[in-house]
Amino acid sequence: MDVEPFDQDKSTKPIRPPDERILVCISPSPDSPRVVHAAKRMADDLHAQWMAIYVETPRRFRLSEADRNRLIQTMRLAEHLGAETTSLSGRRVAEEISAYARKRNVSRIILGKPTHPRWRDFFFGSIVDDLVRLSGTIDVYATSSEIDTPHPAVTQRLQKPIQWKHYGFSLLIVTLCTILAGLMFPYFDLANLIMVYLVGNVVVATRYGRGPSVFAAILSVLAFDYFFVSPHFNFAPDDAGYIVTFVVMLLVTLTISNMTIRIKEQAETARERERRTTSLYEMSREFATNSSVDELAQIASRHIEDVFGCQVVILLPDANDELQLHGIEQTSSETMLQELGVARWVYDHGQAAGWGTQTMSDSERLYLPLLASEGKMGVLGVLPSQLRQPFKPDQLHLLETFTNQTALAIERARLTEEMGKTQLQIEAERMRSSLLSSVSHDIRTPLASIVGATTGLLRQKETLDAHTFELAQIAHQESERLSRWVRNLLQLTRLESGNVQVEKEWQPLEEVVGTTLLRLEEMLANHPLNPELPDELPLVPIDSDLIEHVLGNLLENAVNYTPNGSPIDLSAWIEGQDVIVEIADRGPGIPQGEEERIFDKFYRIHPTDAGGVGLGLTICRAIIKAHGGRIWAANRPGGGSVFRFTLPLEGEPPQVESEG
Amino acid sequence: MSSPGEEKPKSPLILVIEDDSQIRRFLRAILTHEGYYLIEATSAQEGIVQVGLRHPDLIILDLGLPDKDGMEVMRVLREWTSTPIIVLTARSQEKDKVAALDVGADDYLTKPFGTNELLARLRVALRHALRAVQGSDEPVFRVGDLRVDLAYRKVFVGEKEVHLTPIEYQLLLMLIQNAGKVVTQRQLLHDVWGPDYVDESHYLRIYMSQLRHKLEIDPTRPRYLITEPGVGYRLKIE
Repeated sequence: MDVEPFDQDKSTKPIRPPDERILVCISPSPDSPRVVHAAKRMADDLHAQWMAIYVETPRRFRLSEADRNRLIQTMRLAEHLGAETTSLSGRRVAEEISAYARKRNVSRIILGKPTHPRWRDFFFGSIVDDLVRLSGTIDVYATSSEIDTPHPAVTQRLQKPIQWKHYGFSLLIVTLCTILAGLMFPYFDLANLIMVYLVGNVVVATRYGRGPSVFAAILSVLAFDYFFVSPHFNFAPDDAGYIVTFVVMLLVTLTISNMTIRIKEQAETARERERRTTSLYEMSREFATNSSVDELAQIASRHIEDVFGCQVVILLPDANDELQLHGIEQTSSETMLQELGVARWVYDHGQAAGWGTQTMSDSERLYLPLLASEGKMGVLGVLPSQLRQPFKPDQLHLLETFTNQTALAIERARLTEEMGKTQLQIEAERMRSSLLSSVSHDIRTPLASIVGATTGLLRQKETLDAHTFELAQIAHQESERLSRWVRNLLQLTRLESGNVQVEKEWQPLEEVVGTTLLRLEEMLANHPLNPELPDELPLVPIDSDLIEHVLGNLLENAVNYTPNGSPIDLSAWIEGQDVIVEIADRGPGIPQGEEERIFDKFYRIHPTDAGGVGLGLTICRAIIKAHGGRIWAANRPGGGSVFRFTLPLEGEPPQVESEG
Repeated sequence: MSSPGEEKPKSPLILVIEDDSQIRRFLRAILTHEGYYLIEATSAQEGIVQVGLRHPDLIILDLGLPDKDGMEVMRVLREWTSTPIIVLTARSQEKDKVAALDVGADDYLTKPFGTNELLARLRVALRHALRAVQGSDEPVFRVGDLRVDLAYRKVFVGEKEVHLTPIEYQLLLMLIQNAGKVVTQRQLLHDVWGPDYVDESHYLRIYMSQLRHKLEIDPTRPRYLITEPGVGYRLKIE
């Protein structure tokens, strides 16, 4: 703890050292969680940083499955409560703990009170006693357990299959030793022959392990007695003093064997750790140089498979939060479906499940959640090797380290991806707005010249011949049409970028209709149009600029799709809480089933025809929607099409004081 | 009045401040053909200098000049000259137009605009400038079949007399005084209803609608009382 939180009652509390660190020792015992909780309470009271440690001894390699699970649960509990967890391996628990405690500047060590009978301490030593002795200035607390039931006496040990072959080899080596001793017998003293057997036993101990080496030790003593101690070829020695020789020989042989085995085991453990650390480091290094999620998943799978000798699948959520396989594995789909269910549960709950855990343990895989700082990244599934050996606690811890590394790497990749996307969006938006201003300026300015010039030309009707006048008129009408098209394009871009604010004001509909008809006077010249707006039509809350655009587009549409001289009708009426506006023509109507699609962007009934580019109606729909109304099209009885839109009469119309 | 040279011995001198050469070219072609004298400036700075040197009768000012904001040019000019200014705007934003009118522009044209529109605005602006000097108001205002006797406060459509309420008459009178020119909503509300009503635009809309129903044959296709969307109203005289 670097900074001590400010404490107002400081004066009333005992002054404590500023840098408290608590270390709690975890064991497979069922009391262990209680000890962890006690440590957590103490850490909270002292505002101290705390750590949890588990020391794996060669003896503990052979824990029963139940013990192993309990141990993992306790480790998780400690992690969950905020402890930094570590598992070490060593021969003597107390030594490892005190060394670690000193290294990490721990001020208090907490462990559970022993529950086993006192006589065991006599033979096997007491961790508590050793720790108290070794810890020096560090306080050691042994917390009481509230469970009275003693630790189950019979621990179900994991049975490894007996390797009969190894016993055979042991026998062979002892036989060889006997032959060698037989050759040496005439020239050497008996004590030297014992040395031959000792060498043989060291060989057995290094190669074949505990059982065979005990077997070899006994065999050696028997062989020595039978062949070389007089009377030869008889087990009963002449001199009773030889009994002592046998006992000492047996003890020395066993001790040497045992020590050899221990050294070998420790060397193996160290090698194994080295390999795992290297692999973890390699994986991190590869993570750093890759940035796609797929690559990261492959790297993680490869390394974990390498270290743990298992098959790995990585499941990551897609855009719809559905888990998708990212590993490289083939399985039948049926079992995979069931497995996916387990994976889903793990993803949803953020807890490990499946094989070797208490949750859904009939699953064939072990699933671990990929948890990163910002949340769940996915699930990692592990299919253990064919031997189905359960993971040792330190292995499991290591697997979790791998998993966390993977989760962080994937999170980093995801964040990078997202950042890239945001960047792209900003770019696109910038492009859009620069295009917008380019269109608005670079197209409109020349258009202004063209419209101006053509109208100037048309003014001189009397001096132009009919043909030239006709051409000038075409140029003029087309330039007007282009202006309307540019206006539509700009409006759509604005609507889509969300830059358009609907500024509603209560106003008479006839004013907007009037403005629209005036603006489009020229375009409508060949179509009789009689607006029918009843006098009793109330004020409507609209953005007149936008509604003018809607009316303009609908009228232009009618003009484009009907022959010259064909009438266009414009009317409006009240229906419930809405004012309905209708524009109807006598054109060819709308093909069956296209009534909705004509409002889609760039959709046109007859793409080859003259007319718009298919933006007009899209804009109408966007504007009417922004007003809270609806727009729809239908075929008109008697031929032609009808477009209607609603303008809701929302809110209180403003009151006007009458004159006088 | 529409043909130059009647009221003044010389044809009016018009200054065009516009950076786009094609627009200048088109304005030159139209305006010289119509008998106006033309001087051109391609930047705001040059334009301001030309106004001081040549004393034009009218200024056509593009609001989107590269060297200075058009609104700023307006402010500078209005400090020492009342020469009518017509602003050209490529922006469809109504706020810009209203702002320009508030700062002292006489009228505006949105690009693209037609020749007839341009010439009509020019004539109206020149006439109002002249009237401000000579004060030659006539007692009867006529346009189409609308006739307003300003001395007796009587309004006729064709031969039929139309009865207006005092506010309706006030509104009509203001538009007649500015005949052909755009009058902003704010200006109308301020002058007819008073300073407290400048934001109550629905008053204006309702009374304008009433006026249309009384004076226009078809209120949805007005011939006289024209709405300039988002800006104000204009009494059309041609």
